[in-house]
Amino acid sequence: MQAFEKLLLANKAWAQDQLDLDETYFNALASGQKPKFLWIGCADSRVPAESITGAKPGEIFVHRNVANLVIHTDMNLLSVLQYAVEVLKVEHIIVCGHYGCGGIKAAMTHDDLGLINKWLRSIKDVYAQHEAEIIALPDETSRVNKLVELSVIAQVNNLVKTSIVQSAWHAEQRPTVHGWVFGLGTGLLTELVKFDHTHEVDPIFKYDFSKGAVRHT
Amino acid sequence: MKNTSPFNTFRQYRLAGLQYDLPAGLSVFLVALPLCLGVALASGAPLFSGLVAGILGGVVVGALSGSELSVSGPAAGLAVIVTDSITKLGSFEAFLVAVTLAGLFQLGLGLLKVGRFSSLFPDSVIKGMLVGIGLVIILKQIPHALGRDTDVEDDYAFSQLADGENSLSEIYRAVMTASPGAVLISLVSILLLVYWERIVGKGANFFKNLPSALLVVLMGVGLNQLFRLYYPAWYLGDNNEHMVRIPVFKAGQNLSAIFDFPDFNILTNPAVYGVAATVALVASLETLLNLEASDRLDPLKRASSPDTELVAQGLGNIVSGLLGGLPITSVVVRTSANVFGGAKTRVSTITHGLLLLGAVALAGSALNHIPLSCLAALLIMVGAKLAKPELFRNLYREGLSQFIPFIITVLGIVFTDLLVGITVGTVVGLLYVLYTNSQATFRVVRNGSNVLIKFQKDIYFLSKPQLKEALRSLKTGDVVYVDGHHASFIDPDILAMLTDFAYSAKLQNIDYELNEVFLKKPKIRRHASIREAITGQ
Repeated sequence: MQAFEKLLLANKAWAQDQLDLDETYFNALASGQKPKFLWIGCADSRVPAESITGAKPGEIFVHRNVANLVIHTDMNLLSVLQYAVEVLKVEHIIVCGHYGCGGIKAAMTHDDLGLINKWLRSIKDVYAQHEAEIIALPDETSRVNKLVELSVIAQVNNLVKTSIVQSAWHAEQRPTVHGWVFGLGTGLLTELVKFDHTHEVDPIFKYDFSKGAVRHT
Repeated sequence: MKNTSPFNTFRQYRLAGLQYDLPAGLSVFLVALPLCLGVALASGAPLFSGLVAGILGGVVVGALSGSELSVSGPAAGLAVIVTDSITKLGSFEAFLVAVTLAGLFQLGLGLLKVGRFSSLFPDSVIKGMLVGIGLVIILKQIPHALGRDTDVEDDYAFSQLADGENSLSEIYRAVMTASPGAVLISLVSILLLVYWERIVGKGANFFKNLPSALLVVLMGVGLNQLFRLYYPAWYLGDNNEHMVRIPVFKAGQNLSAIFDFPDFNILTNPAVYGVAATVALVASLETLLNLEASDRLDPLKRASSPDTELVAQGLGNIVSGLLGGLPITSVVVRTSANVFGGAKTRVSTITHGLLLLGAVALAGSALNHIPLSCLAALLIMVGAKLAKPELFRNLYREGLSQFIPFIITVLGIVFTDLLVGITVGTVVGLLYVLYTNSQATFRVVRNGSNVLIKFQKDIYFLSKPQLKEALRSLKTGDVVYVDGHHASFIDPDILAMLTDFAYSAKLQNIDYELNEVFLKKPKIRRHASIREAITGQ
């Protein structure tokens, strides 16, 4: 049997499982979504948001890219973010990195990888800011893992700098923004940072909503 | 869930609680008095030994119990064992040594925390036990209510040892020989018990705290005395089988004439240890069952500690053996009477023990004026509350897997006895559990000639026929993938069947692939630290 045929069979078994548990499962699934979470994770096949958190379809709105980056000109991510925050009204945004991340490793080398050089550029910025701290570590693995953590924190800060998050904080005191890291070797998630609407944004990145709300569409 | 502990009860006790616990204790005392004597009679032991066990069950076990509402004392379930053991060991004094030893065993079981396994009794069986006991109480007490008092009180087996009758034939005889005086007393008692709350509800606050049990007893004594004066034909007599009969002591009688003390010479006879083990086992079983049952009756839904209870029972039996008492267990009828009497804490069961003590020491002759027919009325009301018809309906709605073990337990208890009923019910309940667990253990999905056999969970032996059927239904040319990823255990027989099928698949031209089909997924030692992080220990 070919591998893709197993996927199709497994899908049938899954659909049957859902029906066994709840006859109306797919009626509910078809009627609309109301997820409480936005997940910004790595494209790596080993970090599937729903599986590692035990979540079900309908619970997490997911965006994944290489090395889970939040880049303020990325129309794809910003569209996902705006839709999740303003329309779906998610209560939490989770940026989830993982140890041993291939994108982070690549950014620490001098290899010319073509187009992806540009995507990974911002990771080199984070490295440059924390270089002393990183090179003080004894081995390659712990340096990569340190940069994984620092990058997650940087992405959370990037989220906080968007007017989308700031205006939702101003108007509705949500969402809470989390920075998590996943250990491939342990299967466990660790929380690195958590910011809610009381968080003090770096002044230069702070938007003023007192002049009335401006939709950023 | 709130856990119970003797120390917390006493530390946090508010005097206001006495308004519930004292009347409840009095009700239990009235019910317990004839039961203690009845069990002693049925056990072929001195009547006094039943009272000693009742007093210690209330005061010692009550104070240390793992439950707030359970009442302990001598139990009918042990009567046969006690009778046999006295014969086997040669004397009641020798048997007392076995009681003390049984107490030590129970103490050990409690300290080893064996009690927790009591939660393995299926819920439906415990509910069946309460209903069954309720029905048995009603059946057994109807003859007493009608004035037929040949069987001993608290004989809850269907076949009665005392008079060779069974529960139903006894009722028939009782109806034929009904005594009008007893019938009138029990009828008035039942009417009082049913309507008392409504009468009290209409003002008359003074009566609110007067337990209806006391009222019924006063009424019974009063009516019987009226019969004596004005209608001697209906008079039930005094100090005969229709009455409570406490042994009365004369002034100046010396202690050894009242108490039996254990004869420790028997310790050299190995038989005493066997008897002690049997008593410990059966008494612990009855206790744990009743503890589960009392938790279900508790309106405050507190969770008893079975291990603390075993320790308390052990200490109770050690003392009971030393002072000439019968073995003690937690008992259903008195516990139910306690709950329905409005008890809130263990102060109620201790009160019942102290009242028994007082009755023995001071008021023996006065209590002997109480007709058994009014106590029968009290117990019939307890039985009616235990065997409420809506319980049958509720269990039926929960499905056959609940209803069948329930009804089998009920019938088993009514027509044989408590332990047989519980055993049969539990076995049937466990069979249902096994049956349910063997359902939906794997799934077969087909897409054209592609077939996936996916294990949903561990595969035990019981799934073999269904799996065999699934393999048999495969057709020539099928491409089959067996996915064992979700089974951390596969029964060896099933594994053999799966691997053997590879040969027959080849013959039928079936493409057959096994994935992660192992007996047991190995646990790797070096991953212990991850497991620790996951379980948080």
